[in-house]
Amino acid sequence: MAEAIQLRSVTKAYQRAGESLRVLDELDLTMAGGTFYALMGPSGSGKTTLLNLVGGLDHADSGAVLVGDVDLTRLDGGELAAWRAGNVGFVFQGFNLLPVLTARENVELPLQLTPLSRRQRRAQAERALQLVGLGDRMDHKPRELSGGQEQRVAIARAIATDPQVILADEPTGDLDRTTADAVLQLLQRLNRELGKTILMVTHDPQAAGYADKIIHLDKGKLGRIETNPGRG
Amino acid sequence: MPWKLLWRNVVGHPVRSLLTVGAVAVAVFLVCVLNAVTSGLTRTLDAAAANRLLVQSAVSLFVDLPLSYQQKMASVPGIEAICKWQWFGGRYEQDKGGFFAQFGIDPETFLPSYPEMKITKGSYDDFKKLRTACVVGDELADKYGWQVGQTVPISGTIFQRTDGRPWEFTVAAIYRSSSPAVDNQTLWFQFDYLRESLEQGGATGPLGVGVYMLRMAPGTDPVAVQQAVDAMFENGPQRVQTTTEAEFNRQFISMLGDVPTLLQMIGGAVLFAIFFAVLNTMLMAGRERTRDLGVMKALGFTDRATGMLLVAESLLLCGLGAAAGIGVGLLAEAPFAVATASFLPGFGFDEGTLLLGAAIAVGVGLVAGVLPGRRAARLTAIAALREVG
Ligand SMILES: Nc1ncnc2c1ncn2[C@@H]1O[C@H](COP(=O)(O)OP(=O)(O)O)[C@@H](O)[C@H]1O
Ligand SMILES: [Mg+2]
Repeated sequence: MAEAIQLRSVTKAYQRAGESLRVLDELDLTMAGGTFYALMGPSGSGKTTLLNLVGGLDHADSGAVLVGDVDLTRLDGGELAAWRAGNVGFVFQGFNLLPVLTARENVELPLQLTPLSRRQRRAQAERALQLVGLGDRMDHKPRELSGGQEQRVAIARAIATDPQVILADEPTGDLDRTTADAVLQLLQRLNRELGKTILMVTHDPQAAGYADKIIHLDKGKLGRIETNPGRG
Repeated sequence: MPWKLLWRNVVGHPVRSLLTVGAVAVAVFLVCVLNAVTSGLTRTLDAAAANRLLVQSAVSLFVDLPLSYQQKMASVPGIEAICKWQWFGGRYEQDKGGFFAQFGIDPETFLPSYPEMKITKGSYDDFKKLRTACVVGDELADKYGWQVGQTVPISGTIFQRTDGRPWEFTVAAIYRSSSPAVDNQTLWFQFDYLRESLEQGGATGPLGVGVYMLRMAPGTDPVAVQQAVDAMFENGPQRVQTTTEAEFNRQFISMLGDVPTLLQMIGGAVLFAIFFAVLNTMLMAGRERTRDLGVMKALGFTDRATGMLLVAESLLLCGLGAAAGIGVGLLAEAPFAVATASFLPGFGFDEGTLLLGAAIAVGVGLVAGVLPGRRAARLTAIAALREVG
């Protein structure tokens, strides 16, 4: 069973020009494991901030962030890094592949943090690339791939260590409709076939349509949580 | 450590990496050569024999001493043998631009006083028997293709023959010295040949001796001999200065100025420059990889690991450069040593030189890597990924 995500009274503020700006204001949110969530809201509403807290990239000022039974707010920097390595996969809007590495090597990179042997890492990276439909592009560098292919490599990298949670920040923001649909279908498959918990930030209602549930965020406060018609 | 990423980052910027490696290579090569020169000089001093003293004019090395001094000094207790050294300053007829030293010496006492010299070809007895004979270093013989039995024409500059022809020395033996105290590119001939020529009018030039070598008997106090000899000629006709061989060499070398300090300063400046070249490369590398570093941190690489990646890259560049510099140095070592033997005796890469090259690579690599490495370690994934790239 994939892990549930819980935010308990989470507050996060940034200092700007001497003023404290509350990006997340005592936010309470529970997400069920194995569910595909879309996170929507206007620009600057705190979506990325929330994603970073759930992914253990940032610290909350107060409150608790639980992924499974781990409270991320109790982990220090090194512990968070180790936790990220095994428990969460990130997909970014700008793909963020390492340009000097091939597709396979990019996917292998997070596997270097596991105790797997070189041969096992390679096999696992190839399996992940096959899963995203890029078995024939493994030795290509990012610049030799299209945007949609790059994002699929990034997704392969995110699932390489087999984490239960995938966090995607506007993963289709830089893609055209058709390519975006392919990427979204892939995320949906990861959720349905592999049971991954997915939290995807998006502006695009059509993209959100691929999720099971849609969370609305506005000025650091939780809005409605919709269940997609035909699902749930 | 993601070695593949490290390597790809280096070869991903081939021009910049090559320039950096090349710069380090040139610097390491230079510093190693400078160090080899310095340690060669030191080695020459260290190789000086403790039982040999040298007597020269108190005025200058270029002022001759009278021949009569030899007899007088022989009465000083503790002196076992005396050998003249007279600078000839000739030019080889077949290579007037080339330079090598020629000295007139006393055959009877010369070789026994310099046990570091071994005759490799010909015979020293033949040298003693033939007035016009000479003994030459093996490197000199190799350079000009001289064989035992061959006659070598040398035109005098200080000592001219009255018939206007060059002097002719017959190679009786070839030697090899195992100590930098005596180089392998010198021609030694009988001083008496020169003296007889001057006395009989066969040649013109000053009749005297530049330096007397005094060999002391075992257990002799060198200071006592020095003082006795100096005192002997206190009232002329020529005052003398008696020194140990080490001190003599030191004075000879210091005629070139304080070479070791100068070389060290040049070496230091080279290191300083190279440090900034590598630092610049690494700062550029670190900056343009900000996003990559952020991604790695998001994937779970620790601050330490990401910082070490840049330190390791810096070490790799410097290591490759040092290896190339030392490699070229080793290739150049033998020819360079031969080319400089007459004025830089003892030039050679020793363990200390190679160690110095390696230490530079590690030192510059570490220091130049630490700054960008620290920046990489402190960077947060969020800040790195926010940067537009
Ligand atoms: N490091 C930071 N320093 C200051 N302000 C920040 C920082 N990160 C985010 N913010 C601000 O917090 C707010 C929420 O940002 P973000 O979570 O990125 O919003 P979203 O992803 O919903 O567009 C914005 O107003 C943004 O400018
Ligand atoms: Mg955002």
